[in-house]
Amino acid sequence: MMRRWLSVALMAGAVPLVAQGVMIAPTAIVMDHRTRSGNVTLYNPGNEPVEVRISSFFGYWTTDSTGALSLHEGTAADSAAPSAAGWIQAFPRRLTVAPLERQTIRLLATPPAGLPDGEYWMRLVFEAKAGAVPVSGVADTSKIVVGLQLQMRTIIGVAYRKGSVHTGVAVSNLRARPVDDSVEVRVRLERQGNAAFVGTVKWTVTDSAGKTLGELASPIGVYFRLEPRYRVPVGVLPRGRYWVKVEANTDRADPEGILRAPAVRDSLALVVP
Amino acid sequence: MRTLKLVLATALLVAPPVVAQNRPITVTGVRGLTFGTVFPGVRRVILKTDPSNSAQFDITGVKNNQLLLTFTLPASMTGPAGATMPLSFGASDAGYSQSQSIGSQVTFDPRTSFIASTLNQQGRGSVFLGGTANPTTNQRAGSYTATITLTVAYYP
Repeated sequence: MMRRWLSVALMAGAVPLVAQGVMIAPTAIVMDHRTRSGNVTLYNPGNEPVEVRISSFFGYWTTDSTGALSLHEGTAADSAAPSAAGWIQAFPRRLTVAPLERQTIRLLATPPAGLPDGEYWMRLVFEAKAGAVPVSGVADTSKIVVGLQLQMRTIIGVAYRKGSVHTGVAVSNLRARPVDDSVEVRVRLERQGNAAFVGTVKWTVTDSAGKTLGELASPIGVYFRLEPRYRVPVGVLPRGRYWVKVEANTDRADPEGILRAPAVRDSLALVVP
Repeated sequence: MRTLKLVLATALLVAPPVVAQNRPITVTGVRGLTFGTVFPGVRRVILKTDPSNSAQFDITGVKNNQLLLTFTLPASMTGPAGATMPLSFGASDAGYSQSQSIGSQVTFDPRTSFIASTLNQQGRGSVFLGGTANPTTNQRAGSYTATITLTVAYYP
């Protein structure tokens, strides 16, 4: 699969780019306790060398009070959290990827003795700095010429699994309200088991006769608890009674390595006065 | 250190068990934010819809996936002999386009994080950025520059 994408990239490599980043694959990594290693491939489809620095931190996705997603970076308060950031290392941590070449980053885990069964998380950061974007304008020292360069950072997730690992999700506190031409929905998703619930959340709004008025599907990753907010486009709802249904499942083809769990559903009646 | 080298050498010999194999992600800086020639005391505003001077980043990845976009923005640029020039960004200076069209952007504030709801069916999206250069009345002549960083976090 990787080879196919790299071939496509090679064919597209002639596109002139000003500040090329690198192609990073895969976008989610699952390592296991048996082999304790993994890898990431970097490919430079551009025509200039790209300098890449690699770092890591403990982080997981969460939502704020408004339901907006954010990536929480670990703090001292997370000392009991399932962090792998202290014992998974990337080699090398700094490299230059030549034009049209690929390089492999090795991940090695040295987990502490007596590590309990479960899933441990880390985020890998790839910082790419390519050829400088030229400051446009003439080389006239009597003028003031201004331009800004670009730098790209890409963050992907790493999960390390040891022993018996299982996941699930509990759904509660479902609520909905009409907003303009949509129904705004929120739900509390709490992870069960000892691994993140990665899958899809599907929303359906129907009228009282069961006719579907709007649907929305979105990827979801529940590390502890989320209360995301979505808007399901349905048009302006006339007075009446409607049903809002939610389903959280693990039916996703990407990323591979997803832990399967039974789908969970809930629904509520929405009355538009 | 010797142990670490041994572990590394062993790892290189063993086929890595990467369970996940999916479409790669690429973030490309297509165009820098360019103010061109400015004049002392005269603000220069670049709109995010400026096809020549706004910054543009292209993203490719898995279709219909979500990304958290976060800019790290400089407050000033550095020029000759350590001279600086203030730089500012407003609430509507950034935009995300699922179609990668500069004329069809969802506006967001580059000073806060933004969830790009999805990459399109081809797994593509673009981010655009404008800004304002604020040269002082006695701004020293020469070239000024700074670095804009876009952080793309892949969800979940």
